[in-house]
Amino acid sequence: MTHGIEMKRMLVVAAAAGAALCASASAYAAKSWGVTNEEIARFDAKVVDIACELGGDCPANCGDGKRQLGLLTDDGKLILVSKNATAFTGAAEELVDFCNKQVTADGLWTENRGVRFFAIQFVREVGGEWRAANRFTKKWSARTGIEESKAGNWFRHDLRIKEVFDQKGLLGLGAEADKKFLESRQ
Amino acid sequence: MKLKQFTRAIFCAALIMSAATGTASAAGERMQLKGELIDTWCYVSQIMGGSDFIVGSAHHACAVWCAAGGIPVGLLAEDGTIYMVMRVGKDSTSVANPGVLGSMSHVVTVNGTVHKRDGINYLFVDEIVADAGITKLTHETVGVIPPFAVPQQ
Repeated sequence: MTHGIEMKRMLVVAAAAGAALCASASAYAAKSWGVTNEEIARFDAKVVDIACELGGDCPANCGDGKRQLGLLTDDGKLILVSKNATAFTGAAEELVDFCNKQVTADGLWTENRGVRFFAIQFVREVGGEWRAANRFTKKWSARTGIEESKAGNWFRHDLRIKEVFDQKGLLGLGAEADKKFLESRQ
Repeated sequence: MKLKQFTRAIFCAALIMSAATGTASAAGERMQLKGELIDTWCYVSQIMGGSDFIVGSAHHACAVWCAAGGIPVGLLAEDGTIYMVMRVGKDSTSVANPGVLGSMSHVVTVNGTVHKRDGINYLFVDEIVADAGITKLTHETVGVIPPFAVPQQ
């Protein structure tokens, strides 16, 4: 089990590195991440605010990155984009710049337990320049004022996360449970 | 005359009911749901391992990371159905909602509206009516997933 997890972790790191390499080499094509029922795909669609699409609650600029965004295909299919190309981050920061615009999305599908959604690795306005879907960290650094050198491990420096862990512990069960767990590993 | 008025009233009432039914359909289905607030990316993709271990205390740290990073938070219902949380209360923030970060991995009961579209269940939560905390002590079986979430001494 542990070996499997380590392998998966290595795949994540390799995938992120691969995405970065692709960006610098102008080879804008999604790479496999080894996820369940994976299918690499490239398609054109319009970037939409999902809550707006479903319920008509439509703030300006698709919610300025505070809402989950999706891709609406020409045949009316709404696709949830759950992931971008950086660690532990979603796609809103990558797509919000293209709110209500037609884009070409490049990434991969994953499907399991009745859910199929898309992870985006590259995006461009139709006919425009490709960009890697890795802008989260730069935006996080600008938003928090924490230097970019720490942005690769943003989740270890994020004050919102620190606050939750300070209150609830790593396991979410309180400090005493964390202490007992950590002692059991020694 | 009275018959005409009655007939017209019935006709109008039928029209209104028809319109209301259509609106209700477009507005989604009101539901009460109980389930765990999960990190949908790791759970669905299984990038960290089998989904059965991507729940509870073992995955709490990663679930908080992913929620803060803007990955859609899901409610994993007791029957295994996944609902994507699009709103909580009056706050329409569905990316890194600060009101949700502290409840990741908790089993909650919510009232809300579900929109089903193209295979995805989108959940607009009106209120959280109960919070049972973390009920699955999965760390006792598999440790912490991913292991590097545990700070190195």
